[in-house]
Amino acid sequence: MNWKLGFAAAALCALLPLVLPQYMLTIAVEALIFGLFAMSLDLMVGYCRLYSFGHAAAYGLGAYSCGMLLTHLHLPLPLGIVLAVAITTVIAVPIAWVCTRSTGVSFSMLTLAFAQLGYAMLYRFKEFTGGSDGIDGIPRPAGPFGMTVLQGKLGYYYLVLFCLFGSYLLCRAVVGSPFGAVLAGIRENEAKTRALGYNTRAYKTTTVILAYAFGGLAGALYAPFAGFASPELFFWLASGRVLIMVIVGGAGTLIGPILGGAGFLFVEHQLSQLTDLWPLIFGTIFIGFVMFAPQGIWGLIMRMFEKPPAAQEALAGEEASRAAS
Amino acid sequence: MPLLECKGLIRRFGALVAVDAVDMTVEPGEIRAVIGPNGAGKSTLFNLITSTIRPSGGRVIFDGVDITGLPVHEVAHRGIARTFQLCHIFPLLSARENVRIAAQARERGRWRFLGGGHVLSRSASEADEALERLGLARCARTPAGLLSHGDQRLLEVAMAVAQRPRLLMLDEPTQGLSIQETDHAVGMLKTMLAGGGLSVILVEHDMEVVFRLADNITVLHRGRVIADGSPDAVKANAEVRSAYLGEFD
Repeated sequence: MNWKLGFAAAALCALLPLVLPQYMLTIAVEALIFGLFAMSLDLMVGYCRLYSFGHAAAYGLGAYSCGMLLTHLHLPLPLGIVLAVAITTVIAVPIAWVCTRSTGVSFSMLTLAFAQLGYAMLYRFKEFTGGSDGIDGIPRPAGPFGMTVLQGKLGYYYLVLFCLFGSYLLCRAVVGSPFGAVLAGIRENEAKTRALGYNTRAYKTTTVILAYAFGGLAGALYAPFAGFASPELFFWLASGRVLIMVIVGGAGTLIGPILGGAGFLFVEHQLSQLTDLWPLIFGTIFIGFVMFAPQGIWGLIMRMFEKPPAAQEALAGEEASRAAS
Repeated sequence: MPLLECKGLIRRFGALVAVDAVDMTVEPGEIRAVIGPNGAGKSTLFNLITSTIRPSGGRVIFDGVDITGLPVHEVAHRGIARTFQLCHIFPLLSARENVRIAAQARERGRWRFLGGGHVLSRSASEADEALERLGLARCARTPAGLLSHGDQRLLEVAMAVAQRPRLLMLDEPTQGLSIQETDHAVGMLKTMLAGGGLSVILVEHDMEVVFRLADNITVLHRGRVIADGSPDAVKANAEVRSAYLGEFD
């Protein structure tokens, strides 16, 4: 049933561009990229309770490195993207190592600090990064082997879709592996997990690096599509946005944040055409989710399809009474 | 050679000396209880041995190797498993998954983040074995947070057993249990330990539990060891009676 559902979703996404008008295709590509970005953050937020306030750094790193590789070195597109992900991952190692020294709010602040550091460095090294102008005119070169299909919007849509599905399957495998089981332990009770013999910090560090890698992929896909990379990609507003996407989508489900990210972008686009007050509407939606549907969009969908077993309700009650006592 | 040796362990919290030059040994296969009134330093001693906190002085020798100040997870890897005074479990995971994660900690492939199905299945069968030994097989699929308090305590013991330790440290395993639950838990522990071989340190308030399980008893009072010996010798010790046992007469 799960596989059938997944296949149906994949087929739907693959057929979508055939019915969409051209301008909607642009939004669809960006929505998929944001879905991937939000999913990468979910690895930290949903599976490790690591609330990063600086995940824009992953996106920005991926976008800038891909943009520079394509602009200056004229690499073929797929190679540029792969290298950009590699660069992001390498830079993520020391960041993850430092950030996981602390937990809770200090972790959030450290991730934020690193993202803002990246933002500041873009201005500091102007001749290299373009400063406030960013990198403009990032090409979408043909190749390898003279392949031109990725230069068109439709081809690019399928590239992004392929990356999203591949990343999703990888992340699914990770959270279902022995490693993922340890993450569940850390999420439920870190002290106990450590006492059982797990070096929890090493697990958390690895998770942050993984999240950066997938976030970097999202950024690397974005830069050649948009044709530019600007410092705003690193800015804390972008980090806050993606965190909201994860929470509204449903943290700890992978699929929820994909829907959250894609949905957020789509709704934002529609609303911003109607009114300047759209952030107000967004804020209301966000507050509504946090208060009335903390499991997010995916939680709501799941609840429509299956009644929660009595055990789960009783457990929720028990948790609540424990929290109250 | 003793399995565990504490040499002159000291822990100060500001002006308070919680553990004051404690010497204690545990032989292979020995079940040693640590008793004492509230604030005697039992839990601090526990945390010093498992490296949860660092000693202000003294050393912990396990199996001939100095393990003082090693990271908590390293101590666990060397074969010391513990339970916590306030039950530490993974409430949203099934009882079986709780124990399985504990068993997985010894697996070489515990780090596998792709594949690793064999790691999962091998640790799952070890988990079933540990659950069986503590009479929890009936609730393997229940989320741990939904188990009765008594079963949660036994579940934590099952997790420790699944770690295949050489030294098992139980911090008040019957705390907060009803008389029936205590009786059941002690019976389970006694059966489990009857196989022998496993060394145990048991911190416990319930004297009856101590006398039913322990081979030897260390009595702490204000951070110091005031008596050390067989249950009968400790019962007869005048200093112990005035410091502690008298409360229960």
